Amino acid sequence: MTAQEIYTKLSGKFGDRILEFMEEGTQNPTIHIKPQGSLPIFEYLKSEETLQMDSLMNLAGHDPEAESDLVVIYHLHSTELDHYITLKTFTSRETPKVDSVATLYRTADWHEREAYDLFGIIFEGHPDLKRILMEEDWEGYPLRKDYVPAEFYRGMRIEKEK
Amino acid sequence: MIQSLANWILSFDILSGMGPSVAWGLALFVTSALVFAFVAANAIVLVYFERKVSAFMQVRLGPMRVGKFGTLQTVADALKLIQKEDIIPRSADKALFVIGPWTILVASVVTFAAIPFSDTLLAANMNIGLFYVVSISSIVVLGIVMAGWASNNKWSLYGAMRSAAQIISYEIPVGITLIAVVAVVGSLNLQTIIQAQGGTGNLFHWIPIPLPNWFIFHSPFLFMASFVYLLGATAEINRTPFDIPESESELVAGFMTEYSGLRWALFFLSEYANATLVAFLVSIVFLGGWQSPFSTYHGAQLGTTVLTGFLLLWTLFVKLKANRLSIYPLGLGIILSLSAWMFPGFAIWLSSPGLFWMLMKVGSIIFLLMWFRWTFPRLRVDQLMYVSWKVILPLSLLNLMGVAVWMWLTGEIQF
Amino acid sequence: MGRLHAEEMVLNMGPQHPSTHGVLRLKLRTDGEIVSHIEPVIGYLHRSFEKHAENLEYQMVTPFTGRCDYLAAMGSEHGYAMAVEKLMGIELPERVEYLRVIFAELQRIASHLVAVGTFGLDVGAITPFIYCFRERELILDLFEMASGARLLYNFMWIGGLAHDVPPGFVEKTYEFLDAFEKNVAEYNQILTGNKIFIERTADIGVMTPEVAINYGVTGPPLRASGVNIDIRRTQPYSIYDRFEFDVPLGEGLQGTVGDSWDRYWVRVREMEESAKIVRQALDQLPVEGDVQSAIPKRIRPPQGEIYFRSENPRGELGYYIVSNGKNVPVRVKMRSPAFSNLSVINEIGQGFMISDVIAILGSLDIVLGEIDR
Repeated sequence: MTAQEIYTKLSGKFGDRILEFMEEGTQNPTIHIKPQGSLPIFEYLKSEETLQMDSLMNLAGHDPEAESDLVVIYHLHSTELDHYITLKTFTSRETPKVDSVATLYRTADWHEREAYDLFGIIFEGHPDLKRILMEEDWEGYPLRKDYVPAEFYRGMRIEKEK
Repeated sequence: MIQSLANWILSFDILSGMGPSVAWGLALFVTSALVFAFVAANAIVLVYFERKVSAFMQVRLGPMRVGKFGTLQTVADALKLIQKEDIIPRSADKALFVIGPWTILVASVVTFAAIPFSDTLLAANMNIGLFYVVSISSIVVLGIVMAGWASNNKWSLYGAMRSAAQIISYEIPVGITLIAVVAVVGSLNLQTIIQAQGGTGNLFHWIPIPLPNWFIFHSPFLFMASFVYLLGATAEINRTPFDIPESESELVAGFMTEYSGLRWALFFLSEYANATLVAFLVSIVFLGGWQSPFSTYHGAQLGTTVLTGFLLLWTLFVKLKANRLSIYPLGLGIILSLSAWMFPGFAIWLSSPGLFWMLMKVGSIIFLLMWFRWTFPRLRVDQLMYVSWKVILPLSLLNLMGVAVWMWLTGEIQF
Repeated sequence: MGRLHAEEMVLNMGPQHPSTHGVLRLKLRTDGEIVSHIEPVIGYLHRSFEKHAENLEYQMVTPFTGRCDYLAAMGSEHGYAMAVEKLMGIELPERVEYLRVIFAELQRIASHLVAVGTFGLDVGAITPFIYCFRERELILDLFEMASGARLLYNFMWIGGLAHDVPPGFVEKTYEFLDAFEKNVAEYNQILTGNKIFIERTADIGVMTPEVAINYGVTGPPLRASGVNIDIRRTQPYSIYDRFEFDVPLGEGLQGTVGDSWDRYWVRVREMEESAKIVRQALDQLPVEGDVQSAIPKRIRPPQGEIYFRSENPRGELGYYIVSNGKNVPVRVKMRSPAFSNLSVINEIGQGFMISDVIAILGSLDIVLGEIDR
């Protein structure tokens, strides 16, 4: 199935939880969805006969610029039917909350932990959301565009590069 | 031997005034020192030998810089280890931590008192020689468990427990295999065991191939027993494929993890002492000890010629398969057989028993052990236990019964 | 006698350990020797590659990609270069494509040699490690001849290569291939058929295809479970559709499909297939061509984003690059294969002994550099 057909199918089933379909400005056609209540969409994508998206290739966080919404992007692939689709959700910077798909795709377990660690996006329903790459008691979300590098960590001064 | 040494001391006019018991005491001291010196020198040679053998098997050169061809490498290592800081972890059990390595070393060295190096070189001619060696070498387990426990380190504990389980499990098939040999000889005395293997005879009593009367050629059961013993003994001394207790890639260094410097050198020393002990036992019990494989000088001449024939075949095989011409083994064989034919004195020396043959056999077994270490992966601990209890224990019991039946069939014993 | 209370022991295979292939911490909960739960703790090698990439121009990011997966640096650079070229719509000269395939496949052989050698080391066979590294030295010599470096190259630039290969390179590569094809037989002799090795690895850490796909496992571990997905075949990139090669799958020859022996066997077979590809590429290599002709003066991709994936020796290496028209990327996310491959270890390692956990970890072939980035 092409990405356009998948979009039509999804918006037919889920209505206004599917926002729009973007083909411009990206090499992979993307479907934008709402952050809350996205788990049923993924369940549908995984289990439906004609879709069977059983492989989550990539789950990434993204911060376009300093004041914008945070983005979570999903790249899905079907090993049986060999088609691809990309999904994106936008969530606010102050209270970033997105549904977790970790119970559905075990790949997402660690990828969501990384998105939480580096961007601060809370994934609701994740079994064990804690930092994965940074130290467990690190403060701040490093990959955000407005991140100010910390001066002290556990009482040790962090040297700035000259 | 101590008595003869004491007599020799007293035979000097200057020293004859000391009295027999003092001379005996002095002889005792000298003998013990010689035994310990042998063990230490042996370890130094073996460390170098192992590094070179492993290097050549891995297509590299090994130590080459310290001394010509790296021969002084072990001396340099020993000096380095001696001057290291003696670190004892703060939460370690100090007494056990210190005693552990010494226990292992003492247990290993003390067994050498009963080992006959040649027909005259034997520190203590004990009637229960074999029993003494096997039982004293079991004390090694105590030392290992002490070392592992005292380190206060979960990984060391794992290594020590595995080692204890392994050594104790393998004691039984090893012991039963040795009993099979004792049944043939009728004595536990190691010298007697060697003396019973003199002369030439048939392979397995009936097949008319002239072979020395070593116990490995005595019967199919003792032939199998020698391999069972070699397997069990490799497990006893914690060498690959049974080196789980010190498995480098899993437990860092097993029970030796917390030891550094001289204490670690003690472990190393005792490992090579144990390996040598095992090689001695295999040579004594199955390969005829200090007996020469040739019983007459004619035999020596013929034997070296046959050996040269085999080496010629081997050289051809290597040339065909690997396209390399290895002339050294063939050259050595040709020199040996030519010397045997041209110089009867050399042939006579070859056919007489002595220290030379003992060391040759021990060296070959040690080379075999090293070959095992650098070729095979290691067995997991439960697979190791499986092999011990379910494979070689039944085999060794079978050997024991089989040897008895064999001896009845060949007429060695009558009911 | 009262009931015996046996506690579970928490064993820490710490960041420093001879067998964890880098700074990885495994928290094992064990009952005696049997492991009931494995929790990998990563992040000890995190060097914020993605944050750096947001402050560097596109061409300056290339050396950083190599340092993430340091055992397959050519593959990382290749993937990144292809992603940016696709974003910019650059067409590459034939010679560049062929040379890139040659280097990528040689890198695959080198990486698998390390994987096979260290796997043998983990289960206790020390000698095959040395044999594998002997071959790897020959490959590193080739890389040094071409790019000047043995391990981290900065060779595959966006739009071409840093410079062309020197004369004599093709002959030397042919020599290497002739020697290599004979030496693979040695590994099979000493390790593949060895009874003890089979006992240590067959039926250990069996991964079913469903578990593999669900956990995002890709590369040799996925193919060892019987799933026939190789990105060079399913989504051919570069010029891989011009070469004939088989994709080895695990068949459970010595145990169950998807056990550690299969993962090892798939890697050995893949080395042979890569040697085939290199030979074909060398035969078809166009003599003419300027490797730097397609390199743009300014690398400024149009606004847009791309997710491009390639087959790294460890699995699917994906680059998600977002550009806003400037010469510095907005986001470079490296989807590293070992990251997902490692996450499956709890699922497949439960119920085995500690020695087996080490064998499973070795068969997954992880590189902490690309897990932590």
